[in-house]
Amino acid sequence: MIDLQGYGPRLLDGALVTFELAVLSLILAVILGLLTASAKLSRNRFVHGIGTLYTTLIRGVPDLVLMMLLFYGGQIGINMLTDQLYYAFDIDIFINVNAFVAGVITIGLIFGAYMGETFRGAFQAVEEGQMEAARAYGMSGWLAFRRVRFPLMMRHALPGIGNNWMVLLKTTALVSIIGLTDMVRVAAEATKATHEPFLFMLPVAVIYLLIATLSEWGFARLTKRYNVGFGESSEWNN
Amino acid sequence: MAATPIPLEARGIKKRFGNHEVLKGLSLEAHKGDVITLIGASGSGKSTFLRCMNLLEQPDEGELIVHNEAIHFRATKHGREPADWKQVERIRAKLSMVFQNFNLWSHMTLLENVIEAPVHVLGKPKKQAVDEARALLDRVGLLERADYYPTQMSGGQQQRGAIARALAMDPEVMLFDEPTSALDPELVGDVLKVMRGLAEEGRTMILVTHEIAFARDVSSQVIYLHQGVAEESGPPAEVLDNPRSERLRQFLAPKH
Repeated sequence: MIDLQGYGPRLLDGALVTFELAVLSLILAVILGLLTASAKLSRNRFVHGIGTLYTTLIRGVPDLVLMMLLFYGGQIGINMLTDQLYYAFDIDIFINVNAFVAGVITIGLIFGAYMGETFRGAFQAVEEGQMEAARAYGMSGWLAFRRVRFPLMMRHALPGIGNNWMVLLKTTALVSIIGLTDMVRVAAEATKATHEPFLFMLPVAVIYLLIATLSEWGFARLTKRYNVGFGESSEWNN
Repeated sequence: MAATPIPLEARGIKKRFGNHEVLKGLSLEAHKGDVITLIGASGSGKSTFLRCMNLLEQPDEGELIVHNEAIHFRATKHGREPADWKQVERIRAKLSMVFQNFNLWSHMTLLENVIEAPVHVLGKPKKQAVDEARALLDRVGLLERADYYPTQMSGGQQQRGAIARALAMDPEVMLFDEPTSALDPELVGDVLKVMRGLAEEGRTMILVTHEIAFARDVSSQVIYLHQGVAEESGPPAEVLDNPRSERLRQFLAPKH
């Protein structure tokens, strides 16, 4: 058995942080992505502009730079806000930007832009007649979205979401820079103390691989579900 | 107010796309059991007129009255639009449409397609909707295809399935938008047979079609459209057998 020199439990805690960070960021990214896609498909020029500005900014700036900007910039912004509250209303509060929350928001914001592009293409790939039928049968906008547009869109979006998720998972390693104790940071500290990089970095690599492999399986199941009714049709045709 | 409400009335419908006026004030009255057929060359506005009736297109001018209920419009800077979308949804649920390209929802089985709107729009219990759907699928000869997806069926089967979906709403009026135009010739007959059955049982139908022989058989009224104007209108014996204008004569003349 490999001797992790007492770092085993901390490494596992770090792995949990990585996993939670990734999943929460994914959820935020999907929500932001859906909103961004709707904005970019909107005929309202202002809304469209906001969507374009967001994706252009995020995709054009390195993730690490964005993370620093949001983490430090966010703290400065909040401090300014609380100062104003103090001067104006004599309300004295101090909000410290939590590294975990900052990580989720940053990664969510970054991948929301990529998801936005994925969803936009996927929405456009849905045949217009499908939504027309939904409207013609008296469905409200929300019902038509839930029952028709969303499930049909997902078929086209899933490969892209899967890709984004893999990149997102690996991007979580950046949060160790802003002081979050994810498994990369634990491994880095352990390496510094013991001078045994392989002993710690190899398990980290394996854990990333494990999460990635499990998600491949999950995405395969989702793909199967949203592909229902498409493909393998020729044998039935008559 | 009439004793029996008129299922659908359109008065003075006008529609323009950009600078092009495609409908120049069209009216029709579909009484119970009427089969009204719209014919005309492509670009004459017949499909647009039909799509105005369930507000898939917004008419710029004119009135729509479904079962004594007038649709409310309001002016916006982009033109006129319905004032109350809830009202539009309610009215659309009474006007089932059958599309040229079937438009069955491709991620649902045929049975799921047929029960979708009855369950989620009309709020019918699922059990009841399934029983009714099975009876309708049996009627259009597709009961054994209930669990097939649209891509697993031929065009003719899809269109008969789409008619079952329309019937499941027990609609006030059925709107058919060139229901056989996308079908291989040998599949047209089955679909027309189902539609003939509907006409015979007294369904109120408004139909856009190129099947002149079928229109002659089933219609109570035929409207010939040319460039957004109803040029001739009346019973099929009048319009189709004794056309007044040279243009309609030309249109009806065998092409090959």
